[in-house]
This record gives sequence, C-alpha cells and structure tokens, in this order.
Amino acid sequence: MSGAPFVSEVSLGPAPGFWTSPGFRRFRRHKLAVFGTVTIVLLTLACVFGPMLLPYTDTFIDIRSRFAVPFSGPHILGTDPLGRDILARLLMAGRISLAVGFSAMLIAMGIGIVVGMVAGFYEGAVGAVLMRFVDAMLCFPSIFLLLAISALVSPSVPSIVLLIAMTSWMEVARVVEAQIRSLKTREFAQAAVSFGASSRRIMLRELLPNAVAPIVVAATLNVAHAILAESYISFLGFGIQPPTPSWGNMLESAQSYLTSAPWLAIIPGAAITLAVTSFNFIGDGLRDALDARLD
Amino acid sequence: MIGFLIRRLGQSLLLLLIVSMIGFAILHLAPGGPLSQFAAGGEMTQADLDRIAEQLGLNRPLPVQYAEWLWRMMSGDWGRSYRDQQSVLHVITSHLGATLELMLTSTLLAMAIGAWVGILGAIKRYSLFDALATVGAMVALSIPTFWFGLVVIYVFSVGLGWLPAGNRYTVGDGSLLNQLHHLIGPCIVLALVSTAVWSRYMRSSMLDVVNQDYIRTARAKGVPERQILLRHALRNALLPMITITGLHVPTLLSGALVTETVFAWPGMGRLFLDSISYRDYPVVMGILMFSAVLVLLGSLIADLLYGVADPRISGSR
Amino acid sequence: MTINRAGWSLDLNRRDLFGLGAGALAAATSFGAQAQTTGKPNPPPPAKPKGVVVVGLSQEPVAFNPLMPGVEVDEVVWTSVFNSLWVAEPDGSLKPDLAVEVPSEANGGIAEGGLAWTVKLRNDVKWHDGTPFTAEDVKYSLELINTPGFKARTRVGHAFLKDIMVKGPHEISWRMEKAYAPYLAMLANTHIVPKHILGKAGDPNTAPFNNAPVGTGPFRWGTRQPGDNITLVANESYHGDGPYLEKAVLKYVPDMTALYAQFRTGQVDLVIISGIPANFYQEAVKLQGRKVAVAPSGNLEIIMPNLGNKAFAEKAVRQALYAAMDKQAIIDAIYYGVPKPTESFAPRESWAFNPNLPAQKRDLDKANKLLDDAGWKRSGSGTRMKNGVPLEFAVSTTTGNQLREQCQQLMQQDWQQIGAKMTINNMPAAVIWGEFYVRSKFESLLVGTTFRTGVDPDPASRFASDAIPVKGGSGGNYMQWENAEADALMKQGQETFDQEKRKAIYLKLQEIVREELPILPIFQYAPIEGVKEGLVGYRPNINQRQNAWNMGSWYWAK
Repeated sequence: MSGAPFVSEVSLGPAPGFWTSPGFRRFRRHKLAVFGTVTIVLLTLACVFGPMLLPYTDTFIDIRSRFAVPFSGPHILGTDPLGRDILARLLMAGRISLAVGFSAMLIAMGIGIVVGMVAGFYEGAVGAVLMRFVDAMLCFPSIFLLLAISALVSPSVPSIVLLIAMTSWMEVARVVEAQIRSLKTREFAQAAVSFGASSRRIMLRELLPNAVAPIVVAATLNVAHAILAESYISFLGFGIQPPTPSWGNMLESAQSYLTSAPWLAIIPGAAITLAVTSFNFIGDGLRDALDARLD
Repeated sequence: MIGFLIRRLGQSLLLLLIVSMIGFAILHLAPGGPLSQFAAGGEMTQADLDRIAEQLGLNRPLPVQYAEWLWRMMSGDWGRSYRDQQSVLHVITSHLGATLELMLTSTLLAMAIGAWVGILGAIKRYSLFDALATVGAMVALSIPTFWFGLVVIYVFSVGLGWLPAGNRYTVGDGSLLNQLHHLIGPCIVLALVSTAVWSRYMRSSMLDVVNQDYIRTARAKGVPERQILLRHALRNALLPMITITGLHVPTLLSGALVTETVFAWPGMGRLFLDSISYRDYPVVMGILMFSAVLVLLGSLIADLLYGVADPRISGSR
Repeated sequence: MTINRAGWSLDLNRRDLFGLGAGALAAATSFGAQAQTTGKPNPPPPAKPKGVVVVGLSQEPVAFNPLMPGVEVDEVVWTSVFNSLWVAEPDGSLKPDLAVEVPSEANGGIAEGGLAWTVKLRNDVKWHDGTPFTAEDVKYSLELINTPGFKARTRVGHAFLKDIMVKGPHEISWRMEKAYAPYLAMLANTHIVPKHILGKAGDPNTAPFNNAPVGTGPFRWGTRQPGDNITLVANESYHGDGPYLEKAVLKYVPDMTALYAQFRTGQVDLVIISGIPANFYQEAVKLQGRKVAVAPSGNLEIIMPNLGNKAFAEKAVRQALYAAMDKQAIIDAIYYGVPKPTESFAPRESWAFNPNLPAQKRDLDKANKLLDDAGWKRSGSGTRMKNGVPLEFAVSTTTGNQLREQCQQLMQQDWQQIGAKMTINNMPAAVIWGEFYVRSKFESLLVGTTFRTGVDPDPASRFASDAIPVKGGSGGNYMQWENAEADALMKQGQETFDQEKRKAIYLKLQEIVREELPILPIFQYAPIEGVKEGLVGYRPNINQRQNAWNMGSWYWAK
C-alpha cells in the first residue's frame, strides 16, 4: 500500500477537502462500512444518553420480577435473574464495553506505534532489541498476562483495559515497523534525509503520515478485538465486578440459563456481535478507501 | 544469511532466558499457590499446608527456586507436575495429540473453505456473493466462541442428537469413526473463526495481486482469465499465506482454550488453563517455554519469508 | 469456575450452580436406599461382574495416593481402589472394613481412656497383585504419614501416634500421646497402602505407585488418559461384597453445563460432586430414564467475617447484619428453594445437630435498633459511622459463580438499608484460597465450607482460639474468633469417647456460636446429583466426601 490518498484529478477549482476527497468517496461507496459507522454512532449515543431516558436503573434488584420475557411487559428487553431491567443494563454495559474498547485501543496503538516507529526507523541494534522485545511479549499467552495483571491489581475496569492493551500492541508494532522500514527506502524519505532533517522530524512529519492507512485500519480492528476480548476475560473470571454490568459479564452469567432464558445470552451476544462487526466493517472500508491503487 | 541466522539464534536464546525469568517471577508472585485448592477443603490444617509448602520448596527465595528450575531444564529435566507427579514433558506430550488433531483439522477445513470464499470474493468484488461472504465473515469473527460452542452442543447434541456432547471418544468405542464423530463439534466451532480469518486474508491478498501490473499485462496480452487467475494470481497470493501460517504455528499448539473447555477436549489449551488455575508451576513453566520456542520459531520463519518475498527488506537485522 | 462446595475443585469449575428451576423444590425428592422408585424390589446382583458405569466429574482426579493431598474427586478413586480400617455409613455409624470390628471402650479396642488402641484385622484380604494384606501394611501406612519429608495430606490425629506394634499378622496396636476421640473418624478416611510396593520405592512422593496405585479395594487400577478419563477394573478377588461392575470409568468434563448435556444424552451415567447446575433442576427432574435428586452434604454456605476487622469485631454488627439478611429470598429465588436454611455449623444429619437454635427472621427494625444501640450513627451518605470508623466492608467470593454473585448483590441492597456499605471484591479461586484466606487478609467471605473433623462433629480446628494461623496458631480459625467458653467445651469434646456426653457438649457449643455469630450461616449445601435409571446401589452418604463411596456394590438392574 502506498499510503497517502492519491489525487487522481487535476482541477483548477478549490483544493479538495476531506469530505470530497477520493478516499472519503470510496469509503462512502462501501455500503457495509457506512452501515458500520452509523451503527457505532447510534450505539454510542444510545449508551450515553439512553440510561437517562429509561424508567429503570441498571442495579435495582426486584426479585419478584425476575426472568421477565422481552417484549411482554413493562421491561422492554425483559429482566435478569435478579429482576433488573435488561435494557438499562445493556446500555450501561455498553458504556463500559465501548469505553474499554476505545481506551485499550488508544493505549495499544500508542505503545505499538512508538515501538514500531523507533524500531523501523533506526533498525540495526535498536531495531533488533525492540522487535525481540515484541517477540518476547508475544511469547506469553494472554491468559498468562491475565495472571500477571491479577497479581498486581484486583479485576477492575483499568486493569482490564491495561490487560487488553498489553495483549494487542504487539501486532500494531509489527505492522508499523514493517511499514516504516519500507517507507524509509522511498524517495521522499531519502529526500528529507538529504535536506538534513532531524530524525524526529523525519519520523513524525514524513514517515508517520504516510503510514496512516495501515495504522487507522489496525486501530479499528483493535477496538473490535478489544470488545471481544472483554467478553473472554469475563469468561475466565477476571472480568468487571458486579454489580457493574458489561456486555462480557452479562453474557458470561447467562451461560447457565441458555435453555431456560435464552434472551439473557442472546441480547448481550447480539450487542457484542453488532459492535464488533461494525468496527470490522469500518476497518474494511477504510482499508479500501485508503488503498489508492484501486482507483 | 548464515550470519543473520546465527545472530537471530543467539537473540532467541537470550530471549527465552528472559521470558523464563519473567514468567517464573509472575507465576510465583501471583497471589495464591498450588496449595490453595486444599485450603478450600477444610480437611488440611494450616500446619499441614505449611508443611507441604516447605516440602515443595516453596518457601525458598525466588532466585534460588529459579536457579534450580533453570539448572534442571538445561539438563533436560522439565520437572514434575505438582498435581499428579508425572514428568512435565509427559504431561505435555499426552495432551499434544489431542490438540494437534483438533487444530490441524480445523485449520485445514478453515483454509479450504476460507481460501475458496476469499478468492471468489476478490474476483467478483462487490457482488452479492462478496457482500454476503464479507458480512458472514465479520459476524463469524464477532461471535464469542464459548457461547457458540454451548449453542452447538445444545442444538446438535441435546436437541437433535446428531453429535456427541463432548470428549474425544465414547467410552468403550475407540474406533476411528467414533473419534471422527466426536471431532465434528469442536472442529466446526473452531473453524468458524478461522474460516472467517482465512477468507479475509485470501481476499485481501488476491486483491493486492490482481491489481498488479503484471496481471494487467497478461490480460492485455490476451491470456485467458482462468489461466491468469490460477497460474499467476493464485500462486502469488498464496505466498503471504505461508508467512501467516508461520506466525500461526504457536496458536496451533496453544490450543483453543475455550473450545476445549466446552467440548471437554483434552488438549493443551485446557491443560494450560487448568494448570494456571491450580498454580501447577512446573507444568505452566513447561508450556510457557514450549510455546515461547514456537513463537520465536514462527517469527523467524515469517521474517525469513518476508525477506524472500520482498527483496527491498533485507535481513539487515 | 465454580463449585459451591468446600472443594476447591468445585470452585475452579465453570458454572457452578445450584439452584434450579423455579418453584417447587422444597419437597425435593431424595435418593432412598433403593434406586428404583417403582416400588419393585431390586433384582439381585449379577454373579459375575458385568457392565460399565461412566461417572461424570467436572474436575480431573489427579492424586491417586490416598495419603497425599487430594480433593473430593480424588476420593472417588481412593474409595474404589483402597480400603480403610472402617467406613462411615450414611447413618453415622462406622462399619468395619479391613478391621474385624471397630475398636471401642466397650470391646476393649480402646483402653486407658483412649491412650491404648488395639485393632484386629481381617485375614482374607489380598492386594491387587495377590500379596496378602497384613498388619505390617497398616503400620507402614500410619508411620509413612508421620515420616518427615513425606507429603502427607494431614497429620491431624496421626501426629499423636506412638509405639505402633504389630502383634501378629492380623493384629496391631498403638499408643496415643493424648486421648483424641475424633481419631476414629480420621481413620475412617485413612486408606491403607501396600508396604511391599511403596516401602520399596526410593521416594514415596514420586514413586511410580502414585500413578498406578495398587490397593485392596473392589476395583483395581486400569488405565488413565490424562485430561480425559480413568478406567478402573473389577477386582475379582475382593474380600467384601462385590464388585458387580466390570468397569468403572471416571470421565472429566470441565464445563458443568456441558457435563449436564452429556448426562442428558446418556454419555455419562451419573453426575456427582459438583452435580447438576441449579437452573437445570426443574428440567432435569422430568428427564426420562434419569433420576435426579438433592444429595445431603456436610458443607454450609456462610458469610465468614474477619473479626480482625473493626466493624466485624463487634457482636452487635454481626447480629444486625444477620438480622437484615433475606435468607428466604436467597434460598427460594436464587437457589430455587433447594437448600434448607440453617442456624448451625453442623449438618442436620449429624448426631450432634442442635435443632432448637433460634431461627433467623428478617427484621430490618431489629437490625437498625441493634446498630443504633451500639453507637453506630448514620452519617450524611447513609452509611453508619462509629468513632470515625465507617460500617464499610467487602464481601469476596470466587469469580465465575453466578448464584453467589446474585446472592452478594441481593445482600448489598439489603444491607444498604440498614446503613452498611458492602462492596463486592471477587477473585479467582486460586487467589481467594491462598494467603488471602489462610492469613486472614479478607474482610469477609461468602463461601461454602465444613466445620467437622472428617465425619466427627468436632469443630476445634475451625473455632478454637489456638487455631488462628495469623496469630501463630495451627488450625483453620480464619475468622479469628476467640471465646474461652467455646474453647473449654471443644477441649472436653475431644477428650471423652462417650457419645452422649459429647452430644451435650456440642449442643451447647452450637448455641454459643449461634449467639456470637463468628460465622453467619445461610444454608446447608444441597448438591443435585443425577443417576441413570437402572443403576442399583447408589446411596448418598453425608459422612463421605463423595457419593461414589460404595461403587463396589453398584450394578445395573437390567
């Protein structure tokens, strides 16, 4: 991939802005990506504002109305084994799960980009040490890292974010490192060197912007992976503590009721699938949009 | 090239050492220990627990314990499991067969279906087939496997009775047919995600290749489309797949933790999960080293292949 | 990973569950001595062992030396491959197994007030390899336990042994350093190992015997597929009744929901120990060709407070929290009415059980008054404070246990109403049962545990003030409870062998514990076990840690 969007038309009109750029137009054509974006936006809005509009809170226990079936009464999506409103819990859980997904992604991207860039730019000994460090981290299965984190802190939102970030930055570093190494040999980079530009300037101003495409794609896929990872962490017992709901722990506690109250598992499962799928679509669309060769 | 290999080997050995140190430290510093399970029962008193901890050598300073472990490892003794006192190598190898069986079949299945779907999707880009395949893949990638596994058991085993509900074979019937029957459930669940991943990879790889200049040239020359696809495009599209396979080797052997738990499949993934839960230190360290060697090997192979595929990236590291 | 039992194993498995289908369980049927409910008498056992039984376990048995540390699932192997001197029956009595009769003060087997023991052994017992069993094997086993360097599971009771003498090939005697009545119960769970095999091994801890055990029991060791199953084979020259089954297969299925699925499809014949998840109960009872019922258990679900914590140190606080608990809702709603509420630390099937303890009733006014009177005033946030100490504490339990989590959340809401702020701090089993538990680092726990010494009602290791590990003691009094009156009673209970006297002592002890509340008892465990119809002989035994204890007498009716 070449990186920066390639302007295929030469025009005398006003310079193209973001919304009219070929990249964005390609993105818009990718129907699934658009669907994904819309979905995520709606989901985020629902999770942020929704709970305020509902009559029930996510933690109020009402033993007498437990296991209410969805669409059959005052609780739109039914109630859980303790009688709590599922829709309220779903939206509150969404806040947590989406927040965890984004934060984990930001941290993973941050670490991954820095490590990858430095390793790819300097190569040699520095590069070797850094990439071997990446390899070392990859040697630890994620469940082992879960153990590590649990050794230091008890399960909580920050510890889970940290854990997910720790298990996903390595791929980013790898991708970035390969990309930077490849870009370094290109003419524009060589030109910057010959101008006497400082290393930092070359890395940040010349190379990084041209590596944006794979980075952005990796970011969206990272969020998708993070949301899914949160549900696995809950499955292994290190998830968000009750009574705080998360999509992962809602799904996890619904396992035992698969046959008696399947909606308990279907609803958070659907939410996870929807969110993750949407992010994947966006990532896909971005990959196509930023891939100039397709023009 | 030789220099590169030797350097990498040296680096890898150093890495293994560091990984073992960090791993050992994390494992022993994590709260709880191999005796926690007995504290829960109430039958062993504190005096009993302390005595056993002493006998296991758990009270010695960590560096001493590590040094002893390392010394033993280097002379080939991977230690003995705290749980059944078997040698760690025996414990690992006795679970390896099950994992290989499951992972190989599911990967082959996933590659076969996924590659075909991906290639077709790339060729008929933006068609209905491509759209459905894409959506299908995305959804498959987004479903938590533990949930899916239980659904498969409930629908196909408890509900329809078509498949057994778990384990590797039915007691009393070790025939090949029976084993294959038991393999279906977990294989499908595992293959679901892999198929999606392979189809995405193949599609993107094919797309990369199909738009290259040499393909356009071949088309301009009038070479039949079919020949273009099969002879030129496919071969070049498969190359990155090999690289990715190299990287996936460690995953292959770490097993599918979750699927193995749900389907009671006696593989490495579940062994690792159980060993960590019970703080069976020797076995955990054994599996950690095992998978570390595989990761480093896979990484080395991947780098070698990148270098082969793209001469611009030389083995300058 | 769940398990609501004291067994860790249970705690490590996914999906713990109890509870079961809504409604109607209070009248949960229990297994009688007969497996058939049709009222027809059982057909006689087969002349030659035939048939196979597949036992489903949600934890893998890995410890096959009965003297080394192990959990409930390991005991399934021990009770089938080995024998002990006598066996505890469901009704509490001891039935001789390797011994000819159970020693007592009446028959002279126990003399000098408990200091001198003599046991006569059977002369028709053979090890699985044909070697005759003798008193030397008993001496070897007891001495091995006390051998420094040997990873003996427990030395409770055995540590008092001295001067073990083999009086003849089938008679053994020993002296004890002090009279210790619970030793009879301890020996019921001490299985004898062969001197001629283990005695010859270089290091008994790592001897090959530990992975290919040789015993005297109704089943001999067959094969083991690690991570999958263990096959035991009938011992045709068994000295007792049976075995009637050709083979017994112990199958490991880690996920409880999946294990239940295998029970439904018939891939396993019975589900014991962790049992069937609660929410499947209602459906399970209606399954064709299966019998599902609640089995009695000696474990109790309790809130275990740490009295080292300022709030819990006050009796008034413990009493107020107990009074505000909605036990009925917990049992009926969360656990589907299956377990029975309890006020005592002893199981109701125990001969020492006190049925006259005051019953807890949810009374928020009473709870509030108790706290007000004790000087805990409500502060601005609603949480009570006293001398700058807020009434705040955490309740911890094992993660992955849905029903316990629901229980915690219910308690949280209830206690909030009396001004107590409870937070939930759950962690995986390995962590909870480590230093957190044994060094009393917790604030409070919601756990299942037992307070007996084997089958003996003596709870000294859990309640005596010299049993607090974090204070230098060597027991299991992790609550850090110190009560002189209780200490005196427990000491007396250990020293006399007169059951009537002991019963009176333990009745009074239960009253004290109920009043002082070093533990807040919720209910007595009620695991749901399932058996395929047609299996005769399965008989739950509250005095054993698992219900395959008499697998040697099982057989298929058809």
